[in-house]
Amino acid sequence: MSAPNPDPEARTVNLFAPEFARCPQEVYARMHAECPVARAAITNSPVISRYEDVIWALRHPDLFSSEMELQMALGTERPMIPQQIDPPAQTRYRKLLDPHFSRKKMAELEPDMRGYANDLIDRFIDAGRCDFDPDFAVPLPCTAFLRLIGLPLSDLEFFLELKNGIIRPQLKTQSIDQEVNRTARVESGRQIYAYFEEVIDDRTARPGDDLMTQLVHAEIGGERLSRNEILDICFLLLLAGLDTVTATLGCNIAYLAANPKQRRSLVEKPELTDGAVEELLRWETPVTGVPRVARKDMTVGGLEIKEGELVTLLLGAADIDADEFEASDRVDFERARNRHLAFGGGPHRCLGSHLARMELRVAMQEWHRRIPEYQVAPGEAPRYSPGIREVLYLPLVWDAPR
Amino acid sequence: MKVRVDAAACVGHGRCYELAPGVFGEDERGHCRVLLPDVPPEQQKPARAAEANCPERAIQIEA
Ligand code: HEM
Ligand code: SF4
Repeated sequence: MSAPNPDPEARTVNLFAPEFARCPQEVYARMHAECPVARAAITNSPVISRYEDVIWALRHPDLFSSEMELQMALGTERPMIPQQIDPPAQTRYRKLLDPHFSRKKMAELEPDMRGYANDLIDRFIDAGRCDFDPDFAVPLPCTAFLRLIGLPLSDLEFFLELKNGIIRPQLKTQSIDQEVNRTARVESGRQIYAYFEEVIDDRTARPGDDLMTQLVHAEIGGERLSRNEILDICFLLLLAGLDTVTATLGCNIAYLAANPKQRRSLVEKPELTDGAVEELLRWETPVTGVPRVARKDMTVGGLEIKEGELVTLLLGAADIDADEFEASDRVDFERARNRHLAFGGGPHRCLGSHLARMELRVAMQEWHRRIPEYQVAPGEAPRYSPGIREVLYLPLVWDAPR
Repeated sequence: MKVRVDAAACVGHGRCYELAPGVFGEDERGHCRVLLPDVPPEQQKPARAAEANCPERAIQIEA
C-alpha cells in the first residue's frame, strides 16, 4: 500500500456526491490507495475504509459507541432501540428480539413472499416494461413488513406514504427548506406512532399470531416491555427494514441489467442465487456506512480521531478491500471466501439479516424465473440516491411474453 | 478435522449453519451451535466454507 497522501484535499471524501452513489467503488479504491482514513467533506468527520479497521471498530462498542445525539428528530427524544444503544443494555433487547428474526422464523414467511413477488410481477409483466423502484423494489419489502408485524396488507398505500414522509420528506413536501421537511417528518412520525398505538391496544385485547402480539407480551428479566419501548422498536423496524431491502433489490437488478452474461448464468443455474445475493451485497453494499461516536482519542490509519467525534465506518469500502477479498474488484457469484460486512458486524449485526436474505433470494429467483431477459430502457440511465443507495429511477424493458 | 466456535465472538450472522447445516446448527437467538465437533470427511468442504464466510471469525478449524 502506498503512503498516505499528505495533501489535505486528497484526504477528503464526499459521501453525498451523486457520483459516489452511482459508483462508490471508485471512491473506495482511491481511499484504500491514498487515505484509508479520510475526512468527510462538509462535516470533516473521520471516515474509516479498511476492512480490518472497520470490523475492529464494529466489534469495539466501548471505543466506537452507537449512543449519539439523536439525528432523526421526531419529537420522541428517545434513542432507537437497539440501534442507538450500546451493550450491555442493547444485548438485553437483542436477546428478546433475535428469536423473532431467526432464520427458522423467517423461513415460515417464505411461501407468502413468493406469492407477493409474483402478484407484483403479474401487474406489469405483459406490458414489457416497469419502473423497478415503485413497481417492485418498494412494495415488496413493505408487504413483507406488514405481514411480519401482523398488519393488514390493505394498509400498504397508507404505510408507504408515511414511510416516505419520514425517510424522504423532501419528496412529499417538494421543498428543500430544512424546517418544512423537519415539520413534515415529525408529523409523519406522529401518525405512525398513533397507528402503532392502536395496533398495540388491539393486540393487548386480542392476541394474534404475529410479531406485534409477541412484543406486547414479551418480557425482559420478568418485566414487560413498556409501551414506549414497543413503539420505538416498531419504528426502528420500519426505518431499518424497508429502504434497505428496496435499495438492495435495485442495486442487484441494475447490476444484472448491465451485466447480461452474469445474469444468464443466474437464469441457467438458479442454484447460484444465494452466492449472487451475497456477492452483490458485498459489491454494492447498499448501506454504505454506519455512524459511531469515538469514546476516546485514537489514531487510526494515520489519522487522529478525537473523543466525541462522529466517525463513519465505511462498510462499502471495507467490502472491496483487496487485503481481505481475493480479486476484490471482480464480481464472482462463486466466491469461496466472503466475509462481507453489508449487514454490519459485532453486536449491532443487522437484526433483519435473515429476513432480508430470504426476501432477496425469493425476489431474485422469482424475477429471473419470470423475466429472464431484461435491460435498462434504451436512452435511460439508472439514478442512485445518496446515503442508502436506493436506485430511485430504474426503467426496465423486456419482450412481453405471448 | 475438528471445529470450534468462539461463542463470545458469534453474533448470529448464520453463514455457518446456512453453508454447513450438517456441522452447525442454531440456538434460539440464531447463534451458532456446533453439532459435529469431529467433522467427518464428507462434511469438511462445507465446514471450510462456513469458516471462510463468518465475518466474526468465530469458527476455528483444526485439521
Ligand atoms: C438488505 C437489507 C438490509 C441491509 C443491507 C441492512 C443493513 C444493516 C446494517 C449495516 C446494520 C448495522 C447498523 C449499525 O451497526 O449501526 C443494520 C442494523 C439493523 N437492521 Fe438491517 N439491513 C437490512 C435489512 C433489514 C431488515 C429487513 C430489518 C428488519 C425488519 C432490519 C433491521 C435492523 C435493525 C433493527 C438493526 C439494528 C440492530 C442493532 O443495532 O442491534 N434490517 N442493518
Ligand atoms: S457465521 Fe459466525 S457469527 Fe454467524 S452464526 Fe456462524 S459462527 Fe456465529
